[in-house]
Amino acid sequence: MQRPDWAPETIDVERPSVARMYDYYLGGSHNFAVDRAAARAMVAAVPQAPLMAQANRAFLRRAVQFLTDAGIRQFLDIGSGIPTVGNVHEIAQRHAPDSRVVYVDVDPVAVAHSREILAGNDHTAVVQEDLRRPDRILTHPDVRAMLDFSQPTAVLVVAVLHFVSDDDRPTEVLRTLRAALTPGSYLVLSQASDDGRDEAERTEAEEVYRRTDSPLWIRSRAELTGFFDGFELVEPGVVWVPQWRPETPESAEDAERAVFLGGVGRLGG
Amino acid sequence: MPNGRCSSAGSDASVGEPSGDQPCTSVFARAWAKAVVGTSYLPMTHAQLETLLQRLTDLLAEALRAEPLDLRVGHRVADELVASHVASAEALGRTVEVIQLRLIRDLDLVADDVEDRMARLLGAVATGYARALRDRTLDEQESIRRAAMTARAQAEQALRASEARFRHQATHDPLTELPNRTLFAERLAAAVDGSGDGRCRVGLCFLDLDRFKRVNDSFGHQIGDRALVAAARRLRQAVEPHLVARLGGDGFVVLVERSTGTGDVVAVAEAALAALSEPVVVDGHDVTVTASVGVVERRIAGTSPDDLMRAAGSTLHWAKSAGGAGWALYDAERDSREQARQELSAAIPAGLERGEFFLDYQPLTSLHDGSLLGVEALVRWRHPRLGVLSPDRFISLAEETGLIVQLGGWVLAEACREAVGWVGGSGRPPYVSVNLAVRQIRRPGLVQEIQALLRRTGLSPNRLQLEITESAMMTTSEEPVRALRALADLGIRIAIDDFGTGYSNLAYLRNLPVTELKVAGEFVRGLRTPQAHADERILASLVSLAHALDLTVTAEGVETGGQADRLRAIGCDAGQGWHFGRPASPDQILARIR
Repeated sequence: MQRPDWAPETIDVERPSVARMYDYYLGGSHNFAVDRAAARAMVAAVPQAPLMAQANRAFLRRAVQFLTDAGIRQFLDIGSGIPTVGNVHEIAQRHAPDSRVVYVDVDPVAVAHSREILAGNDHTAVVQEDLRRPDRILTHPDVRAMLDFSQPTAVLVVAVLHFVSDDDRPTEVLRTLRAALTPGSYLVLSQASDDGRDEAERTEAEEVYRRTDSPLWIRSRAELTGFFDGFELVEPGVVWVPQWRPETPESAEDAERAVFLGGVGRLGG
Repeated sequence: MPNGRCSSAGSDASVGEPSGDQPCTSVFARAWAKAVVGTSYLPMTHAQLETLLQRLTDLLAEALRAEPLDLRVGHRVADELVASHVASAEALGRTVEVIQLRLIRDLDLVADDVEDRMARLLGAVATGYARALRDRTLDEQESIRRAAMTARAQAEQALRASEARFRHQATHDPLTELPNRTLFAERLAAAVDGSGDGRCRVGLCFLDLDRFKRVNDSFGHQIGDRALVAAARRLRQAVEPHLVARLGGDGFVVLVERSTGTGDVVAVAEAALAALSEPVVVDGHDVTVTASVGVVERRIAGTSPDDLMRAAGSTLHWAKSAGGAGWALYDAERDSREQARQELSAAIPAGLERGEFFLDYQPLTSLHDGSLLGVEALVRWRHPRLGVLSPDRFISLAEETGLIVQLGGWVLAEACREAVGWVGGSGRPPYVSVNLAVRQIRRPGLVQEIQALLRRTGLSPNRLQLEITESAMMTTSEEPVRALRALADLGIRIAIDDFGTGYSNLAYLRNLPVTELKVAGEFVRGLRTPQAHADERILASLVSLAHALDLTVTAEGVETGGQADRLRAIGCDAGQGWHFGRPASPDQILARIR
């Protein structure tokens, strides 16, 4: 359920936040007892959950590195969470200091935290908005001020689509985002998948995430591939995230344990 | 110191090493990297991790060789690991393990006390690591708590802002942005209740734009609305700092708190009227609006918001009926008079239902032979509190409110019902004459109602006379005339009441099926004095005119025998008045007939 515009937001730190759970999986301490309890329940259900988060985060790092090498200097990271370790701007700006990054998240605590961390970085902005309302993201003044959509831009929707149900029309969301981009832009997607996974494990994971504001919506490789409609998939296509341009052959071993599928698409034309 | 054993071991790391130490440290660093990878998320490539660990390996190797042993190196290595996010319990365990197992061997470190030094250095690494990790954890906890607090503060601020917005919307008129009725009621209640000192005074200006509907009708609602907005803005500026609210439509009210007297509030009313006197230009149209203001000013003690509003409303009504474009000041006496009238008028329907009305009849006597030609039905109200009321107390009220239709209908029915029984004796039974109000005549279906009434009561049509006033005929509509003609065709007598005091248009005497003129009493009163020739001549002319048109003439208000003599001499047909008999009960009338 989306909050209507007129309803003031409430901050409920008594409820686990998926952003802070993710921080916990990554070894961070930007989380509260309630988040840790939920994250531990997740680990009990899916023991490799921390590995999944790490693999996904490593995929993000390699993808941003790839994009930076491809000349991309603008990044729109939607569902950025708690950006503590390995932020997009850190990766991009290390190689191209003029890279501009806008972080978008729906979680007000994550947004407040991001603002604190990014204070003083002129090339970044933080916007509190919902992936499910792409128009509002694209027209947000802070987004418009930081990004010039007439220039190639990378949109990152990493580890967040599994919180968007089919009722929220993810295909339309992505189509709206795509329409704002100029040829030469990129889309980076990753999400949890059940391809070849154990049914019981999936059910338990879904149970854990029902305690949060963001229930899980697991998808197949075909569905994720479909989300790249209009983009040309960059090699190697939609794969288990460790298999996406691994740095070493070993790091791609047992890739399906990462549960996350990911890919990068380029807008042609 | 260069070490040959390491290079000669055929290590896979011996490719293109820049310095002698490189191969040995890189072998160890690679093993270390392999040990810690996966313990937590490391935001760097594997190559970057190896480079980092190689540098830290060099630091550790140097420390093990140096004299004296500098334990701070252990702390520094630990700090760097944690700072680079090699920061988990597992990473520490693996690090201790790999250093203990391989560092001395891989780097071929030889010293008597190397084991001892290694133990102390590892201890320092573990201590430093635990300390750095703890600090980092505390920092992160603090930072996320701060973020939660910030987010909550922002949410609360947003909530307050939205509450303020809701409150504003609930208490303001969206068109003019003026306070609305709700806010005004709150402020008025506070002004009246809040002050502990009952000697304080308060005032209201109840303001209404005159004929504003016409602005809407001629320019359209859009321009009407904009004129309202402009008027509202002027009002607010003119009466500042007093509160001005829009009560809806084109009604506004100004609250004058802490008034020192009527003058204060009248001044506010005049300022408001002056502000509205200039035309408003909307879309090139000059929209002129005037306003009426009802002004109330009084001590707070003993009054209430409802009282004040009601008084202001009545006063506004006075200002309006005085022609608008001005103010009226509240007048308690007038108000109580009107209120009493209002109450009386409101009590008519219940009075009818409870049978509080009754009829008296006044004789209409022949001037030729003194016989009783007819009687006029006169309604009375036996009011439970006020006693018997004569028609002048309530007929005009009933006419204003339209209750006259109901009341007149009852009078007509009652008169017919009672008159049926007045037969017997020698002469012709008298007719009954009933006043018919304008509204009754204009009502469609009047003819059918009277027909039904006659049928029901069995009264012969020629025993019913309907008295109408001249003003009843002052209508452009054909319908009433047609109705009267239909009634006359039934044989009902039609009399013009109070003839000579109104418009006295002779044309309708030609067109209407009138049977009789009732000449107003004021002409007759003049006959008391012998020198009243003018009245006598007017009467004489009226009588001859009436007779020329085949109408009979009844003189009203005949009080003396002298007047009766003169009227008889003039040729007047009948007389009504105290000289011939006061209004009396049906029983007395019946007694007179038999």
